Amino acid sequence: MELNGEQLIAAPIPDVWRGLNDIDVLAKSIPGCEEISRVSPEEIHAKVMFKIGPVRARFSGKLLLSDVIPEQACSMAFEGSGGAAGFAKGRSRVELKLVDGGTLVSYTTEASIGGKLGQIGGRLISASAKKIADDFFQKFAKELGGEVIPLQSAPED
Amino acid sequence: MKAAQFDYVKPKTLSEALDLLVETGDDARLMAGGQTLLATLNMRLSEPSILIDITGITELKGISVQGESLRIGALVTHTEIEDSDLVAKHAPLLKLAVPHIAHRAIRNLGTWGGSLAYGDPAAEWPACSITLQATMIIRGPSGERRIGAEDFFIDLYTTSLEPDEILVATEIPIASKDQISYFNELARRHGDYAVAGIAAVAKKSGDVLRDCVFTFFSVGATPVVATKAQALIDGQELNDQLIKEAVEIARSEIEAIADLTNSAEAKQHLIGVLLERCLKDMLAQK
Repeated sequence: MELNGEQLIAAPIPDVWRGLNDIDVLAKSIPGCEEISRVSPEEIHAKVMFKIGPVRARFSGKLLLSDVIPEQACSMAFEGSGGAAGFAKGRSRVELKLVDGGTLVSYTTEASIGGKLGQIGGRLISASAKKIADDFFQKFAKELGGEVIPLQSAPED
Repeated sequence: MKAAQFDYVKPKTLSEALDLLVETGDDARLMAGGQTLLATLNMRLSEPSILIDITGITELKGISVQGESLRIGALVTHTEIEDSDLVAKHAPLLKLAVPHIAHRAIRNLGTWGGSLAYGDPAAEWPACSITLQATMIIRGPSGERRIGAEDFFIDLYTTSLEPDEILVATEIPIASKDQISYFNELARRHGDYAVAGIAAVAKKSGDVLRDCVFTFFSVGATPVVATKAQALIDGQELNDQLIKEAVEIARSEIEAIADLTNSAEAKQHLIGVLLERCLKDMLAQK
């Protein structure tokens, strides 16, 4: 699965960057986040409860940061396991750009989902991932005291 | 696989069920036909601590005509809709849609209200309820409220239902004599989830369609209405040129979301294919 998108957040780049690196902000922004901890500067562990439709799956996973260019971009590799429900694994690249009205956050993600979630949920995984990403940015912008400004035409896959 | 342990209660009245919902909160699931819920439990994709079986509640059953509306109770099964003369007469679109819902065994147990409350973007009933401008009747701890179908479906699997509310029934305005309907969906095999589908009605006189509603499903997170294509068709003499223009407009106004096997472009293409078939069929209908 691929998930690419852009979000315009009404906050300056340094604030957005700090937010993305602040696990307290992330804890409040990630939908269903139950636990999050920074194990080292590059490694974050988290427990997340996904609630979509009839599915309630608790994932525990880790995130590894790499190619970090402060206030510009970073890459992350993530993997998570949801017990009986399945697992997810992938890579994402996030870039920040200064634009009129705030900070443009663009992300490209490639993920594979396995186990039962992949077999029977496959039909809706793209739509679910998009919903989770949108929810995240709404909450994230609120945490920074800004808001998500709707883009004219948000690119998506 | 087998489901994890859960408690089971079967209340006899709606108020009993509402009390239970308030008491148990997010740990509880309402069960009607169970055609989606039980599969999810057996797969252990969800482990509620209590199931509230609402199938014993008579207030949620039955199809009736009330004034200018057709009232369909939340517990009415797909098969009951298929076999109902009242539905055939007053909401013929539903009759056209039923055969597309899964398979006979599922239609015998799955319910109208269950499908609506679940809000699967590929399901037939949410799209039909929007096309027919149905009103959802919802009961919660503070009483009854009503909401139009177009406002009921908010996002993927997300409706305006609060966790402590129950969908009781829907009311559908009775079809006028000049109303024609069309329903179609494209799936790999019959009974599969649709790759894309359309639920449409219009009032027809001669070759002119008015008050048309074209709702597409399984192309986005919720059913989508092709408002621009509708506006183009409305009140115009329907011909091949107009159909071609409407197809173009529908393809550009609806933003499709890909799934694992079908790209957004493929779905966008199918939107046009479905609308073309719909309009040609409507043109030929008496």
